[in-house]
Amino acid sequence: MQKVKRLSVLCILVLFVTVVSACGGNNGSTGNTNNSEDSSNPSTENTTGAEKTKVTFWGDWGGEGAKQFETMADAFNASQDKYEVEYVVQEDMITKFLTSSRSGQAPDIMFWDRWRTSLYAPKGVLHPIDDFVTEDGIDQNDFYEEALKELSYKDSLYGLPITVDARALFYNKTLFEEKGLTPPTTWEELRHAARELTVWDGDKLERAGFSFGPWEYNMYHWQAGGEMITEDGQTGFNTEAGKQALQLWDQLLNEDKVYKLGFEQGMGEGTDAFVTGKVAMLNTGPWMISTYKKYGDELDFGVVDMPAGPGGKASVMGGFGLVIPEASQEKEGAWAFLKWWTANPENALLWAKTSFNIPGNKKAEEDPFFQEDPYLKPFLDILDYAQIRPRHPGYSIMETDALIPNLELFLNGDQSIEDALEKAEKQGNDILKNNQLE
Amino acid sequence: MAAGRVGKHESRMAYLFISPAMFLFFVFMVVPVGMALFISFTNYDVLSRSDWIGLANYERLIGDYIFWVSFKNVLIFTVIYVPAIVILSCLIALLVNQKKPGMKFFRTMYYMPTVTSAVAASTVWLWLLNPEYGLVNELLSYIGIVGPAWLAQTNTALLSIVVITLWMTVGSNMIIYLAGLQGVPDHLYESAKIDGANKVQRFYYVTWPMLKPVTFFVSTMSIIMALQLFDQAYVLTQGGPANSTKTVVYHIYNMGFNQLQMGYASAQAFILAIVLVVFTFVNLKMNRDGANI
Repeated sequence: MQKVKRLSVLCILVLFVTVVSACGGNNGSTGNTNNSEDSSNPSTENTTGAEKTKVTFWGDWGGEGAKQFETMADAFNASQDKYEVEYVVQEDMITKFLTSSRSGQAPDIMFWDRWRTSLYAPKGVLHPIDDFVTEDGIDQNDFYEEALKELSYKDSLYGLPITVDARALFYNKTLFEEKGLTPPTTWEELRHAARELTVWDGDKLERAGFSFGPWEYNMYHWQAGGEMITEDGQTGFNTEAGKQALQLWDQLLNEDKVYKLGFEQGMGEGTDAFVTGKVAMLNTGPWMISTYKKYGDELDFGVVDMPAGPGGKASVMGGFGLVIPEASQEKEGAWAFLKWWTANPENALLWAKTSFNIPGNKKAEEDPFFQEDPYLKPFLDILDYAQIRPRHPGYSIMETDALIPNLELFLNGDQSIEDALEKAEKQGNDILKNNQLE
Repeated sequence: MAAGRVGKHESRMAYLFISPAMFLFFVFMVVPVGMALFISFTNYDVLSRSDWIGLANYERLIGDYIFWVSFKNVLIFTVIYVPAIVILSCLIALLVNQKKPGMKFFRTMYYMPTVTSAVAASTVWLWLLNPEYGLVNELLSYIGIVGPAWLAQTNTALLSIVVITLWMTVGSNMIIYLAGLQGVPDHLYESAKIDGANKVQRFYYVTWPMLKPVTFFVSTMSIIMALQLFDQAYVLTQGGPANSTKTVVYHIYNMGFNQLQMGYASAQAFILAIVLVVFTFVNLKMNRDGANI
């Protein structure tokens, strides 16, 4: 009996000790490996004679995307013998970046969703690249001005764009030919085409002539000639432009009845409403081209310029860039890679061909790869006038929490145009105020 | 004296046995909770600052329209969901507790949704609830009803999420009730039968009181889950339409990790924790009499 008890006490103690040491040990061992990596790097370099400085590149693209990044890293590594770039996939990159910025294990260069710049740059965690840019005589005119604007805060530039995208009008050619229609160029023509293409079976919508949603509001607002956020940091929807944008939606939804809310919900890639001809027109970006092409047998589609509203043409520009964290240990190497990738049109083109993205470097786009592609060419024209979302750290959350909910109430028929815009303005201004940087 | 020594020895043993668990609890629960409480009085943003700002975060919270809307949503969700899950899982447990052939098959069937990942199940439901081509509205159309756009309308979206969550969680709660039912001693039923109690009376006077601890457990866990609703709402509706399915945890996540306002997010998390404690306490009171928990 006594023996059993002693044995059990021993067991518990052993368990306890292992747990405690495992907790502490984990930190210790990871710390150790990192330390040994850091300290052993120079020595291993010396012994192997490669003398390449390691540059760590973080991104949140895995799978195909990771391979595309690795292609770029390999090409860079082969092009020179000073730096060795290694791509590391970080699934939850932003969260990891937050902690790594403090613990000194930050990457040297990072794949960056550009709109985040307005939130992160003021916190001092990104390294301004202005000195590098002037030193190496980079011509900023080679890049899209809007994309550079999105990577700037105050007077500093924090990175260079590797991709740009915009929305264009995608239309189903077969359905257009059936009705003898040409792609619309104005709001009026858009309504007309959508009306012609819509098919109802009693109360059931068989085919939507046009698909749209509240998350696209900014483009319609701009097309009506409005501003999303005014000079003094207030929302700009409760204006004549806002009314015109919502009137168009009201007409499309309730007068012309070309769409029904939630129509495409739950349809995946294979049953995509545009692929199966259940939606005849929609606004979307270049990332959908390869998906739609895959279904080329059943879908014959075209891409055209955005239809113009009373205020002209407008589309929203987005995309990614590369930035250098302030905590990076190897900023020179990071810049060398950044410059090689973005400022050299040949490499920007290599990236474009590898990943089917439109690069941020305009010179790369003179290549026939873009100029002769019927799907990509319209995007290049749109990118000349496309604009970025307003650079306010609270913009994105204002859109999802204040603007879109009120637009949904309006689309649902629970709220008039005037109420929707007034409430969106009030709630939106509150959110902007609470999320600005002190 | 001897008894005292044994008692002392036993309690020492007891402390030794629970110490690993307590240690882990302290390191991974108590310390972080204390830190979060501290953070809720600062403007901590992970990156550049951590200044004491007193009650400013809590003051801001009072005027935060979205926070209260999401609170209202999860409260409505809880009030509908918790009674429903208790009744449903108890009923199904009663059904599959019968000794009839094929019961194992039904038990497995009801348990299936539990082993499916919330995100995968939600994706299937998205398709089932599609207004034009979904199975639900297709079936409704046979009896001449034009079904709504379930997840795209403000009046049906939250209710749809309640139903889907019931479907996803009924299996695991049924198992708990089943275990409880099988723990009810037969002699109680026998003596009730001798006293002339019919089936309903036997359930009311024997089964239900005997299941009180189980009911308390199921309802408490469900309350906690319901108030922390996130996955399903996020996949199915992303908080829409018109904020009608926005949840508190989603708002906290957004404020903390997307807007880098950890201080403010912590303040919200604390209010949520307090509400959780209050709900659990009320539930405890309601279940207290007659049960030894």
